[in-house]
Amino acid sequence: MGDFIKHPVVDMPERMPAPAIEADKLVFTDDEKKQMKTWVSRYPTADGAIMRGLWLAQEKFGFLPPEVIQLVANEIGIPYANAYGVATFYTQYFKEKKGKHVLDICTCFSCQLCGGYDMLHYIEEKLGVHKGETTKDGLFTIQEAECLGACGSAPMLQITNGPFVHNLNKEKVDALLDALKEDKIPAFTSVTLPQDEDEMGGNRRSDVSSIESYSVRPVSETLS
Amino acid sequence: MPKITLDNDTFEFEGRPKLLQFCLESGVDLPHFCYHPSMSAPANCRQCLVEVGMPQINRETGQPNLDESGQPIIQYMPKLQTSCSMDVADGMVVKSHRSSELVKRAQKDNLEFLLINHPLDCPICDQAGHCPLQNQTYKHGPEGSRFEFRKVGKPKHIDLGPNVVLDGERCINCTRCIRFTREISKSNQLTIIERGVKNYPMTPPGVEFDEPYSMNVIDICPVGALTSKDARFRARIWEMSKTASISTVNAKGSNCYYWVKDNKIVQITPRTNMDVNEYWLADEDRLDYHKFNDNRPTGPSISGAQVSWEAAYKAASDCLSGVDGSRILFLGSATATVEDNYLLTKLAAKVGASTPMYLAHRKEGHGDNWLRTDDRTPNAQGCERLGMKVADVAALKARISNGEVDVLHVLEDDVVASGVCTAAELAGVKVVLHYYNTTNETLSAADVAIPAAMAVETVGTVVNEQGHAQRLRPAKAIADVNRTLSMEIGKCRADRHGTPFDKWYEEANLINCQPGWVSLPGIASGLGLELNYKGPRQIIEELSSSNDAFAGLSYEGMGELGVRLSEQGVTA
Ligand code: SF4
Ligand code: FES
Ligand code: FES
Repeated sequence: MGDFIKHPVVDMPERMPAPAIEADKLVFTDDEKKQMKTWVSRYPTADGAIMRGLWLAQEKFGFLPPEVIQLVANEIGIPYANAYGVATFYTQYFKEKKGKHVLDICTCFSCQLCGGYDMLHYIEEKLGVHKGETTKDGLFTIQEAECLGACGSAPMLQITNGPFVHNLNKEKVDALLDALKEDKIPAFTSVTLPQDEDEMGGNRRSDVSSIESYSVRPVSETLS
Repeated sequence: MPKITLDNDTFEFEGRPKLLQFCLESGVDLPHFCYHPSMSAPANCRQCLVEVGMPQINRETGQPNLDESGQPIIQYMPKLQTSCSMDVADGMVVKSHRSSELVKRAQKDNLEFLLINHPLDCPICDQAGHCPLQNQTYKHGPEGSRFEFRKVGKPKHIDLGPNVVLDGERCINCTRCIRFTREISKSNQLTIIERGVKNYPMTPPGVEFDEPYSMNVIDICPVGALTSKDARFRARIWEMSKTASISTVNAKGSNCYYWVKDNKIVQITPRTNMDVNEYWLADEDRLDYHKFNDNRPTGPSISGAQVSWEAAYKAASDCLSGVDGSRILFLGSATATVEDNYLLTKLAAKVGASTPMYLAHRKEGHGDNWLRTDDRTPNAQGCERLGMKVADVAALKARISNGEVDVLHVLEDDVVASGVCTAAELAGVKVVLHYYNTTNETLSAADVAIPAAMAVETVGTVVNEQGHAQRLRPAKAIADVNRTLSMEIGKCRADRHGTPFDKWYEEANLINCQPGWVSLPGIASGLGLELNYKGPRQIIEELSSSNDAFAGLSYEGMGELGVRLSEQGVTA
């Protein structure tokens, strides 16, 4: 929320925007179409397949301008308005063009107390853009996120709807940004719990090799 | 029969009604916003919460456990339930706000939540006075708000389409409007966008909310979030009178209310009739009302010169007398009532002319098998049932240009605009014209011009395309009619409590016209035909016994919702 509390104004999306994707690029391949058909067949009504359809389109086109949402709706066979409602509901669907790496920095309650805003501001300063903006080189978009469900390792951030980076501090942020500039995306990391430390090497998940151990939470600079 | 207990009263029920609907029908006025009987129940407003319990069943015996006094022990669900989405079940016990403090508290708190971001702009909101949110807050809401922060600002005065304006801040996200476009009109032009405190209804980019039924969302919106672009800011609800009548824009005969302020029609809204239009009204039925207010005549005239009513009637009967019946052409009107057309047939018979015909006004391909029809008139069926036939325009044209017509008597229609002939071609013909608007193109050729009361000013019957016979009631007064004495006219506050000093009594907007059932007898009596009816009611009484197609029809029988006629009159 942040600024929204002080200035709670909801903007309206442009109602008649010019298309962002050229018409000849605005198509799905036969494979993609087939994939969508399979998804549709898995649900009692076609609506069920919309989320996966939008996801596929986002991966293909990078983001979801209205014409892409309409394309997905047509492909799946549901009304455009319904698809648009779903796409705007989820922040993970990008309605406008983002940077190559989208950094969702959690500033919800737990992260806030443990320095979520400190991290957000540090990244803002470092990259020279504000939240909601994209760096000039098109590499990074900074976003403020609500609880991403990893309060135990607050403060944390998520990279482009993908892996989480836990137990953030300034050094970690520096290293992360350097790695991302070289296109090295950190692996999915499992955070171990103190009670597990002795067992299974601390890692309950057999599918994850990267682990990070639990540490005492830091306290936000503004609180300490 | 299965039974249910509502606040200590026991009711029997059939089928599986929803609890909220059942309560409303049983006289328990449960507050609610998102539920609408014609649409799915998403149960998202949470205003209809009640306590619901079922008798505790003994697992071994399968019988209800009884308490000391022999009454079944009721096991209440741990949380309050939304009655709109709950099926009524046998033995169910329900406590509403009438008997449960918990429910009262829930309603109050829920309203406090709904009002957190709702602007307090009732003084400038068109919905004020007929707003479910306002009414329910009066009845069940909290005294004040404890919310000390800035309310969320959302897009305001946005034209969703040509006829509907959105105020996003007032929306309580009940989704009624969305469900209307998904489930009823199937245009799918609206959706809720964004989430949490940021959401509101919107069209997806590139789409306009321009479906032909868009304005229905205005009526079902339980707040003032959706208002009519046409009617907004024109009148407060309590300044208008409303009259239950019939829309005459097409042959569906959709039931509607005419809203009147200062003796002008300012708005038309739907009136529920499950046999005709259910809850809905097409935009075309709502917007075509300026004809009732504008370009209206100032009184009867002979060759353009204003005269008294008596003189006009005399002149009209003079036109008709002494002419061979075969050289007189009568045209009835599918826009006029059954009663008026019937009187015209009698007049035609009296002078020996053949049965009047009527002009068709159709727009082929316009109809949609719902509330819009190809036929642009309300009463073609009524004319047919009177034995009147659609006029063949080409044949009429020929008769007139061949000089076979000496007198043309037109009831509430426009032969020139309909392409029957030009005004010049009528030079040698005596024309008696009953007309609504000064824009009538036949007017310049009329020898006697008689201003006629329109559908909103008269009493009468129209029969829709399906044979549903319904009554028109006067919504606005005409000259010589006293609003408060005419029992049929809807009353507003000023009618009931006003004084002659109120603006209401301004005479300026009283049109000097007469309904056909007054003017036609006026003309007939000059020809020795006395059509002494006390009013249209008596005309229908006569018709119902003399014409099989109207057998059994009566004003009482039609009431507010009309009756279905078969080939042989009223169906059982
Ligand atoms: S605009 Fe009105 S009908 Fe539509 S969701 Fe909001 S409150 Fe409900
Ligand atoms: S508050 Fe940041 S992950 Fe829960
Ligand atoms: S009417 Fe039941 S939740 Fe809205």
